[in-house]
This record gives sequence, C-alpha cells and structure tokens, in this order.
Amino acid sequence: MKLLKDFSNIFRRYDLALEKTGQAREISKDPILQKIAKYVVDGDDENIIPAIKEALKTKTPLEIINDALIAGMNEVSRLWDEGVYFLPQVILSSDAMNAGIAECEKAMGKSMERKAKVVTHTAEGDIHDIGQVIVNALLNANGFEVINLGADVPVEKVVAACKEHKPIMVTGTALMTTTMTAFPKIAHMLKQAGLEIPFVCGGGAVSEEFVTSYDLGIWGKEASQAPGMAEDALAGESWQSMRAKWNG
Amino acid sequence: MTPRERIMAVLNHESPDRMPCFGANSTVTYEQMERVQAFWPDGHEKAEAMAKQALAAYTVLGFDAVRVPFCQTIEAEALGCRIKSGKDKGIPGIDHPPPYKLDDLPEFPKDFLSRGRIPELLKAVRILKKELGDEVPVVAGIIGPFTIAGALLETTTLLRATFKKPDKMRPFLDVAEKAGTTLAKALIDAGADIISCEDMTASPDLIAPTTYRDYEMEYQAKQFEQISVPKILHICGNVDSIVEYMGKTGAEILSLEPKSDPKLAREKCGPDVILMGGVDTATTLFMKDAETVKKACEEQIAKGIQILAPGCAVAPGTPLENLLAMVEVAKRH
Repeated sequence: MKLLKDFSNIFRRYDLALEKTGQAREISKDPILQKIAKYVVDGDDENIIPAIKEALKTKTPLEIINDALIAGMNEVSRLWDEGVYFLPQVILSSDAMNAGIAECEKAMGKSMERKAKVVTHTAEGDIHDIGQVIVNALLNANGFEVINLGADVPVEKVVAACKEHKPIMVTGTALMTTTMTAFPKIAHMLKQAGLEIPFVCGGGAVSEEFVTSYDLGIWGKEASQAPGMAEDALAGESWQSMRAKWNG
Repeated sequence: MTPRERIMAVLNHESPDRMPCFGANSTVTYEQMERVQAFWPDGHEKAEAMAKQALAAYTVLGFDAVRVPFCQTIEAEALGCRIKSGKDKGIPGIDHPPPYKLDDLPEFPKDFLSRGRIPELLKAVRILKKELGDEVPVVAGIIGPFTIAGALLETTTLLRATFKKPDKMRPFLDVAEKAGTTLAKALIDAGADIISCEDMTASPDLIAPTTYRDYEMEYQAKQFEQISVPKILHICGNVDSIVEYMGKTGAEILSLEPKSDPKLAREKCGPDVILMGGVDTATTLFMKDAETVKKACEEQIAKGIQILAPGCAVAPGTPLENLLAMVEVAKRH
C-alpha cells in the first residue's frame, strides 16, 4: 500500500491553482473552435465575426454554436461563479456569444433550435434589471429561448406573455422591497389562468421566506442557478418539487 | 447629550453618552407617513412634505439625525434624465431612454441648481434647519459619480465601457462629480450638517474592484475634498474587495451593509474611519420581527459598528416597531 506522505493536496480541488491566477481554461482542443471560444471569454464581439466566417469553411454552424460559443459562455459562467469575472465581463461575453450565434444562424438560414422558452422580467416599478441581464445571458448560453420582457414590467404583461408563449419557467427579478410585492400577484393570476409554471424569483431585496410564502414561487439565490432550474422545469418537475430541491 | 453632540463626539473620536442611531439612506416608511400626515409622491417633490417626512426620523423613530431626500434621482433629473414617478407607494426611478450615448460629451447645465426638484430639496433642508436648530443634525444626500454616470448612459452601457472604453467614461464621471459636488455645496449653504453620498453602481456587485480603484476612487476623493462638512460614503452590497479604497476617499464615515465585514473595514482603513451600519433592510428589517432586528444590530456592533443604522435604504413597508427596536439597541451602548 502506498503511504501518503504529503497531505496538502488531499482536500484541494484540482482547479484551485487556476482560480488563483484567474485564467480561463482551454475550452476546445480544436484550435479554430478554441479561438472563437476565446473571443467569447474575452467579450470581443468584433473579432469574433471574421473568426466565425473563417470557421464556417470547415465546421458546421451547430458545431460552432455548441462547442465554441456556448462552451465559451459556460467558461465565463464558471469564472463569474469563482469571483474571477465581474458583471461587465459577463455582459460583454454575452454580447460576443449572441453576435456569434446570429452569424451562425445566418449561415444555417434559420434560427438555432432551442430547448424551450423561459419568460424573464424585472418587477413593475423596478428599473434595476442587472440581475435579469445575467439570467438572460446564462439561459441563452444553455440553449433556452429567452422571452425577455425587460425591466419595470406590469403584472398583467407577465401573465399575458406566459399565456402566449407557454414557457416552461418564468423568472422575476426585484431589487427593491417596494416592487417585489408584484410577484405574489403574478403567481395568483397564473394559477387562476390554470398555468402552474414554476416562477423563480430573486434579486437584492427578495428573500426565501417571501418567495416560498406563495404558490408557484421558487427562490433564486444566485443568477447562476437559472440554467439548472430551467433544466429541471424542462424535465417536467413541478414547482413543488423544484422548491423542495432548490429551497429550504 | 443632544443628538448633535452625540454624533460629533463619535466624529471627534470621543466617547458619546450612547451610540448614535440614524440613516445614511432614506428611513421613511408608510407608517411614519401616516403619523406625520405627509405622503408620497409629495415627499419626493414638495419641500414641505419632504421636510415633514424627514422630521419623522427624529419625532417618530427617535433617530439622532434626519435625512433628505428619499430617492436617488435628484441630480440625474437635473442633468436631463427622464424620471418615472413612484406614485404613492414607490420611489422615483430613471426612465428610458437615457439622455446620452457613450460617444457624446455630456453638458453640465449652468442653471443646474434651479432644475428639477433641486429647489424643493434645498427648501426642505432650510425648513428642517429652522425646525431642528442645533439640536439634531440634518443629513443631506447626494449621489456618487459612477451612479449618476450610469443614469446618464444607462447602467449596462456604462458597465460595458468599464472594460471596453474606460476613457469614454471620464467626461461623464466629470459631469457627475460636478453635479454631486455642486448639490452638496448648495445643501450645506441651506443648512445641511452632514453629506451622505450613495453610490449604488460603484458596488462590486456591478463593477470590478479594479474599476473602483482606477476610476471612481479618484472622482470620489476629488468630490469629498470640496465638501466642508463630514461625509458618509455608502456603497451597496458586499464591499470587502473595495473597502480599502473607500477608506482613501476622504469620507469620515463609511456606511456598510451587513454583507460587508466591519472588522475587515477597520483592518484595511485604520483607526480613524467611523463605521456605520447594523441591519439588513430587506431580509431582516423589513421581513423579520423586532427581536431579530435587535440581535442583528448587536452582532454588527460586536464587529465594530460605531453608528447604528439600517444597512441601506429602508423599505417603506418596514414595520415601525423594527425601527424603534434599533434605537433601543443604540441606547444600550
């Protein structure tokens, strides 16, 4: 039996050294895809376009979307979770990814297929849509179609969008305690309309206790939870089981 | 001691008779509005209602200072932003579209002090000064350069610029700093004893700490150098990564949310800076009961808070007894 002499690495995560230096990992072994992914990580929405045009000569648009653009954005999401990246970088990377997806869609002659729709909004009276910006970017990066209602959205408009689009999940962001009171109203109206859609609510002022006090509500602690929650909703989980899993 | 003597004692690093308690941000609530019979939106727009509501911090809550205004849109409006009324329940917000694009050169209007709601705000300070004399300090709020620049451009545009075109931010930060400084001087002339600078967009929740260090710190320091009275600097969220730089701006008082670590602030900023804070306004003050509020305050005091305060702007639906509980805690120390 091999005896361990040095215990210093036992509880150490393999990526800890990387995190310290804040370096992005290699995303693809393929140099063409890696170059595009790197533009996403760097948030460069200008140079990414010629790189994609070049790549389209040898790669399919879907390959580029999945293995470079979305893979790059996932790396950004990791860097953000680890505290290496800050919000402006996430926004810039999201811009680059979206510019890249648009270029690939042009080559495909149609929109890329999305897993399902998610409606996102920031509460009525609240113009602080920063949290929602991240949620949109991450859902987008994970292949969901985001129906982005923007900031300061009236309760009725959220419900109407849910009726129209039949999303698998709806999210609400509020930074202020004055505005989050719109959430139970939305939940109530969705239920009345027979739409039992998981309603993920989060943002500065929004607490778990508040969100779990009304039906459909699931508390979103961090924007980075949004893709995981959307996958659960896509798998057909109810709001009750999602709440049990993500809250409490 | 009078509330004024109590606060001055802390600022002079002397022992007060007890810990002072007041807000760096708005402390107005619906219950207080009922008590003083002055309501929103008047409290955001008309001097008399604004003064009445501010006064409630002293007469209803027993806080050691009063504070105006109750929103973060005064300078932005005077610089040309569109304002959306919060009506009777909310605070005014900034509406789309923003007045400028990143390539524009913003202007500082010559008649800045007579624009928007500034005349009413100044009048409210004069009313408060007349009512309170030298007993109770009047805290007057200004908005930090980065937050005003965010209003002029739309915050996400400014955030993109922090990494892509940081030099393009400078003309906006210049105008924004000038706006806050000009307003602060006028507020002092009207009778303000303390200037409280809220700078929400400078939070590490929004910008990288390096952006604060390389840009905002300089403008903040320039602003504070020109303000003759004690200054409070309030930045929302967890500011652990920038607190060292906040301590270098010249603000005598740093107002922290409980998400930030007062011990770290002390370690990074040295013995001279006064730490203000106490209880989370959303998850505790608004949502929980008086006992929980007291416990939260005690925890922060144990970590080195010297002026007890709500961690950020108080939610208007906050129960009165929770705010009264804060004063109770202050009286124990």
